[in-house]
Amino acid sequence: MRLALRELHRRPGRFVVATAILTLIAILLMVLGGLLDGLTAGSTGAFRAQRASLIVYSATAQDSLVRSRITPATRRTVERSAGGKVGGLGSIQLGARIPGRGPRDLVPVILFGFELPPKGLPSSPPGGRDVWADTSLRVRGVRIGTVVRLGPARTPVTVAGFVSDTRFSGQGTLWGSLATWRSVLAVNRPAEQAGAGVVQALVVEGATQRPAAIDAATGGATRTLTIGGAIAALPGLSQQQSVFNQIIGITVAIGVIVVALFFALITVERTPLYGVLKALGAGSRSLFEGVLVQAVAVTAAASAIAVAASLALAAAIPAGSIPFVATPQRLLTSTVYLLIAAVVGCVFSLRRILRIDPASAIGGEQ
Amino acid sequence: MFLALGEIRRAKARFALLVSAVALLTFLILVQQAIQTGLITSFVGAIRVQSAPMLVYPVDGQRTLQGSVIEPALARAIAAVPGVAATGPIAQRTFTAVVDGGKPSNAALFAYRDASLGGPGSLSSGRLPRAAGEAVGSAQDYTIGDRVRILGPGRSPAITVVGLAEDAQIQVTPTLFVRWGDFLAASRAVNPDAGAVLPGAIGVRPAAGVDAAELARRIDRADPEADALTRSAAADRTPGVTQVRQSFQLIFLLFALVVPLVTGLFFLIVTLQKSRSLTLLRAIGAEPRVLIRSLLLQVGLILSGGIALGTLLFAPLSQMTIGSLALRFDARSVLFWAVLLLALGLLSALTAARRVLRIDPFEATTGGGAR
Repeated sequence: MRLALRELHRRPGRFVVATAILTLIAILLMVLGGLLDGLTAGSTGAFRAQRASLIVYSATAQDSLVRSRITPATRRTVERSAGGKVGGLGSIQLGARIPGRGPRDLVPVILFGFELPPKGLPSSPPGGRDVWADTSLRVRGVRIGTVVRLGPARTPVTVAGFVSDTRFSGQGTLWGSLATWRSVLAVNRPAEQAGAGVVQALVVEGATQRPAAIDAATGGATRTLTIGGAIAALPGLSQQQSVFNQIIGITVAIGVIVVALFFALITVERTPLYGVLKALGAGSRSLFEGVLVQAVAVTAAASAIAVAASLALAAAIPAGSIPFVATPQRLLTSTVYLLIAAVVGCVFSLRRILRIDPASAIGGEQ
Repeated sequence: MFLALGEIRRAKARFALLVSAVALLTFLILVQQAIQTGLITSFVGAIRVQSAPMLVYPVDGQRTLQGSVIEPALARAIAAVPGVAATGPIAQRTFTAVVDGGKPSNAALFAYRDASLGGPGSLSSGRLPRAAGEAVGSAQDYTIGDRVRILGPGRSPAITVVGLAEDAQIQVTPTLFVRWGDFLAASRAVNPDAGAVLPGAIGVRPAAGVDAAELARRIDRADPEADALTRSAAADRTPGVTQVRQSFQLIFLLFALVVPLVTGLFFLIVTLQKSRSLTLLRAIGAEPRVLIRSLLLQVGLILSGGIALGTLLFAPLSQMTIGSLALRFDARSVLFWAVLLLALGLLSALTAARRVLRIDPFEATTGGGAR
């Protein structure tokens, strides 16, 4: 093992190209993972922030918030059957005019109207036309007290505070009362306006009944999902995750092959040297440990460079362009995957090391 | 050539590993290229397929049809701009629908009043709607004769598919091009509280001799609320399209770099390992170009084998559908990547080739070839 480390120390040039390739593969893994995390976080924040355990859509909404409509009569049935606290939820996506930006430079936002506050919001919905803004809107120039004008009707709302990690459908969100949502909807999207008491969905906190029991109580007029189920049902999310994870899996497999290829070639090159070492008493185990240490060291160095590159990339990407986030968890798991790939890749060299005959050191292989 | 092939035959495992690495990389690149193309086509296909040469959104709509509302005053202002030959309303919204009594599914209705300003531009089969309750469907999702019923609390007309258009989805959703009246009926059926149902964009036909891009600038100048785009610009600038392209380009760049690096490293090490034999060959009269040819032949064979294997792996997958996203075997893109990867791989062998050229036959007499 000491010999292997000394070789790494004395002849680092031998390992530069392999490190470069593994660095690229590590960056690929982290970029792919970071893109997946960014896409997921930006699409699901508003649901993840809910304190409620269940969300109730109308049965014909196909689990889509914007297509769902819950009437007051259905709401009363849910309140009777679900147990726990029930609150309405509504949303609308609009262009927002923010002071200081050009007349054509609008920011896409989603205004949520709520009754039961998600995490990070005050215990009761803000009064008047006040809203709380997602922290991602800060880079767009939104501050506390900013009057944001929404939609073609330029409906003014005033930002009273900030809440973090509540992005939805890749956009920043604003959180106000149901009355604010209803009035903004009516003047900006007359075709989608909601009548008195109508909401898009209900959220249930501390439900004592299972989703199926609630749907049975409403006679099939609703479809109730857990928050996790509602996140999984968001359009394209599960397909997106499955495709990305498959690509990440194949990239790890490529990592295995690259390590296997590189160390198999190195082992072939060192066969006479290993023969001498074996003749001097070194065991196959210690020789393999040397290869393993080198593979792990090269991969660790590549991963470290890739972590730095990913963090730099995350800092360099302008807000609102590529949805990339570099989370410690993703960087760590990618590094672990690559280290496992390095160990697996080395196993390809094991057979060759075991087959080396010490007699070859004195020309015994001839 | 004999030596090159002989070496591959004798070290099958090593070369097989490299072929599998190149194959996997090629497979991944092709799959991601297909996903990118499929995603963008399914996202904005209907905008590309529709017949209006130009689309005018309201600035507030942020270039999304479903999120836009054109007020009557803006529609009038657009129609009055010099150079505009004709205008027609266009709208789009996603509904829950049942096809032939099956399970509920998503259906995007893409509505137009004038078939030449927002209707499907070309059909792969069938005909355009002639009466209320008829539609042209996206070919990958519908067949002629399908009966689609929009689900909602109100009464919605049944829609019959009478024609099909290729690559006509919008927002990765099965899409139906319908006449304006059917769209109004569907909108009211799902929301009895609905007020006025307004268009999301205005389709514009420029007058003869008027350039569409120039007319777009003229419309924007005429009304600060208007955001006029040519058909292709409207598709390319739909929110999300640029981000999808940028994200994939970053991934492609990284993958495209890995292929030549892996190939280059492999052949460099192999060349170093056999430098003693190569020195001997040079000493007994082998010309450098023979050795280089042999090296390039190996590189070419390995890369071609890997690319061919990767393409073979990709071929059955390219016929699949992920959710509503249809993948496709695009021969042009496969050829592009095959040529690019081959060229980069051959380029990467230059370092190994330089090593071969530097071999001094005299070293054979001193044993220096092994250095």
